[in-house]
Amino acid sequence: MTLPQFLFFCAFAVVALVIIAFGVVVVRTARLDDGGPFVSRALVARLARPGRDRAELQRWAFYLHRVSGVGLFVFLCLHVGDVSLYVISKDLYDEVHHVYGSVPMRIAEVGLLFGLLFHTFNGLRLVAVDVADLGLAASTRALYGVLAATVACGLAGSVFILGPVFA
Amino acid sequence: MTAVLPDTDSGAARRRRAAYVTLRVSGLLLTVLVLGHFAITHVTTDVADTDSRFIDERWASALWIGWDGLMLAATLLHAVLGLWAVIADYSPGRRRAWRGVLLTAAGLVFACGMALLVVAATGGR
Repeated sequence: MTLPQFLFFCAFAVVALVIIAFGVVVVRTARLDDGGPFVSRALVARLARPGRDRAELQRWAFYLHRVSGVGLFVFLCLHVGDVSLYVISKDLYDEVHHVYGSVPMRIAEVGLLFGLLFHTFNGLRLVAVDVADLGLAASTRALYGVLAATVACGLAGSVFILGPVFA
Repeated sequence: MTAVLPDTDSGAARRRRAAYVTLRVSGLLLTVLVLGHFAITHVTTDVADTDSRFIDERWASALWIGWDGLMLAATLLHAVLGLWAVIADYSPGRRRAWRGVLLTAAGLVFACGMALLVVAATGGR
């Protein structure tokens, strides 16, 4: 690993730390301010039962939307930075860009894809909820659709991203 | 008896409405721009092959310069509006400071990204 690659790796570690720290803030604030949804096995069991606790499920979709949004923004800052190397020196850009093709970075890209897909589909759901004036039951069904589409498209994309690792 | 109607005409209400619409319209735009960008750099081309030669070819076309410029502007608009609400929710004491951090970061990314596109479009080759 060369020095520019190491610096990129450090910057990426900072991105990951910011995402984790913001996730902790969101979950802690949820517990303190929003009526106490503790992250526990009981909560997960409650959320997993279809139609059992719709408001709670939508609240967690909202938290996930926030955390994924912050994650995408922080990654964008890094990404614009590394692409900017292209005007400074193409060789330097290519050197740092090698990291994007490495196995750990490809795994991170799969995470990026899932975050991007969830944020996109859930955002479309939020627009639909307002435009079509969906109620709690309909918007919960839409949320199941969002989760299904995220997993389906995410797995399909992962095949392309991770394919060269196994080829 | 007169009902108390929510305030819909003051400057603050108009600004909130504009921010609400802008957040959603930019989001709809980004659905196409960002998913398209991800598909091009990860599905139709492998990430390892998106090197400087790939950028040379792509930025030789006005379509992709325009695509990337619009994507950057829409993303930053969307991010600032979204994070503005996040800051309002999570930092009761240091709102002004965090808003400063947000605007500085977004401004830097915008300046860097746009300068990059201008240099690539005019003096890069």
